[in-house]
Amino acid sequence: MARLELQGICKGFDYPILDRLDLTVEDGEFFCILGPSGISKTTLLRIIAGLESPDAGRVILDGEDITEVPPYHRPVALTFESYALYPHRSVFDNIASPLRAQRLPRAEIEARIVEAARLLRIEELLPRRPNEASGGQMQRISLARTLVKRPGIFLLDEPISHLDARIRYELRQQFHRLQALRDVATIYVTHDYTEALSLGDRVGIMGRAGLVQTGLPRDIFERPNSLFVAQHVGQPPINLVDGVLRRVDGALRMESEETDFSFPVSAGHVATLEARNEPALVAGIRPQHLQALDDEADVGGRHVVEGRAELYEALGSMGVLVADIGGAKLTVITAPDAHIEPGRPVRIALRTERIHYFEPGSGTSLLDG
Amino acid sequence: MSEKNYRLVRLLLLIFLGVWLVLIMFPFYFQIITSLKDVAEVNRIEPTFWPEVFVLENYSAIWNEPGNFKSLIDSFIIATANTILSLFFGTLAGYALARFPRQSGGENVAMWILSNRMFPPVAVLLPMFFLFEELFGTTDTHMALIILYLVFNMPLAVWLMMVFFRDVPRELEEAAYVDGHKPFKVFFTITLPLVGPGMIAVAMLCWIFAWNEYLFANMFIGTDVKTFPVVIPSFTSGSQTLWNLVMAFSLVAMIPPVVLFVILRRYMVRGLSLGVVKG
Repeated sequence: MARLELQGICKGFDYPILDRLDLTVEDGEFFCILGPSGISKTTLLRIIAGLESPDAGRVILDGEDITEVPPYHRPVALTFESYALYPHRSVFDNIASPLRAQRLPRAEIEARIVEAARLLRIEELLPRRPNEASGGQMQRISLARTLVKRPGIFLLDEPISHLDARIRYELRQQFHRLQALRDVATIYVTHDYTEALSLGDRVGIMGRAGLVQTGLPRDIFERPNSLFVAQHVGQPPINLVDGVLRRVDGALRMESEETDFSFPVSAGHVATLEARNEPALVAGIRPQHLQALDDEADVGGRHVVEGRAELYEALGSMGVLVADIGGAKLTVITAPDAHIEPGRPVRIALRTERIHYFEPGSGTSLLDG
Repeated sequence: MSEKNYRLVRLLLLIFLGVWLVLIMFPFYFQIITSLKDVAEVNRIEPTFWPEVFVLENYSAIWNEPGNFKSLIDSFIIATANTILSLFFGTLAGYALARFPRQSGGENVAMWILSNRMFPPVAVLLPMFFLFEELFGTTDTHMALIILYLVFNMPLAVWLMMVFFRDVPRELEEAAYVDGHKPFKVFFTITLPLVGPGMIAVAMLCWIFAWNEYLFANMFIGTDVKTFPVVIPSFTSGSQTLWNLVMAFSLVAMIPPVVLFVILRRYMVRGLSLGVVKG
């Protein structure tokens, strides 16, 4: 049982890598931190674990300030991205390490290890050395060492990012089922947005020096508060178009400056966008909100633009089309069997009500709130 | 590479290795046969490569002087005690320099320690002698050499242990802290076992240096305490050197280091920790 609170965490002076970061993770919550590589996600976990001390700010666990408490007295368990298994000990002894630190009786230690090993399917590895295990197995050993501890907070640092796609998928499913992780506060760090959206009760996007946006996975995806968030969530990445707003025949249109691409602003957005007097902005259009139309397809009131197919990738479960619309390059997700020949003319329908608009300089969302 | 070329290369390699082997083994061979010759044969101008008469008595003659066996014991005491001290200080200092470079002075201090090994030892022979005599009253003790050899062995031990400790990923220690183990326990149960092979290698180097050292031993000791390298030149009769006894005695003195090496060699295997932590 633990509720973690971070208050004004700072790290680094000349080049702050964490700047006044506040975060509360409730008991039983699975919180995912998503961010590109090298953005000090790991440093944040290390501060929570006590391996590094913040230059300012406080770490509070269940109302108790533990900022100065050394790591061996904190009720946290941390998996290292590198696994950090003790090479000279058997897998059993590796997993037993946190239990022996608590001086639990031998029988209890054994029972917990066997339970964790069964759950993670590494029973046959217990007598072996860690370096005899494969990457996926090492990851599970390291996870087992964390699970048996039954800590107040789990800190998982990119636990599955080094693995190949199939095992990654399998382990992601396992994370959903691991009750131990669901019972206490868990912070899960990843740079893969699918992991974050799939696992997180809440997701925090980490940018330079701190969390840029936190919220429910759905909100993060559908209502990014900034260009940074929009760019880091979603695959293929969001299409960005620099443009200006213009009144054309009474209707508000977004017109690209350098290309001939333009579209009408959805009725729901007009009031908000007109309220600011600056016409320049950046439009973000997710590839799944664009649709490549068959000739006879029903437009259904959507705005349609015309252009040429430039590139097409058939990825099995979907197709990805890069279309040239009057000079603007738009990525479009299509049906898996679309097979659009490059060079062919295409018609693309826009769901204008799903388009995001951002401030050109700062990147803040204009629709936020 | 064709089959023919492959064979040729193999043949040349074997010839090279054969020549190499002869070069390496010949002195050793000559030592053994010399230790079995009589004095007359040893001193002949024309050397013989196989003893005309086998004089096994040489091996009992070397013990005639009662101090000779004790010299091996003295050497053993000095070498072992010095190795233990070198390793103890080397491990502590090496860990500090590897893990806390900012607090311990880091590279500069490490370099300075190593530089102690770079001066020619003979340059400090006399100063050291007077220094020790002034400090302890006499230099003819085990302790004098045990401390003196630290001057040469400790820099080596510190430097090598520092390198070995650097090879141990810090994350292993951090993982143990997070598991709930305190720093001292982590040092002894995680870090130290991982540098174990390195410690054994360092111990071997220190021990062999102290075992074989002659220059300082010859100056410092000789009456109450004698190490075996000091005894070796004493096998003389009138103006001639009894090379057969010298060879026999030094052959006996070779046994402890060789046995030690054979026993410890398998613990010197490196790479135990490689491949477990990946970047």
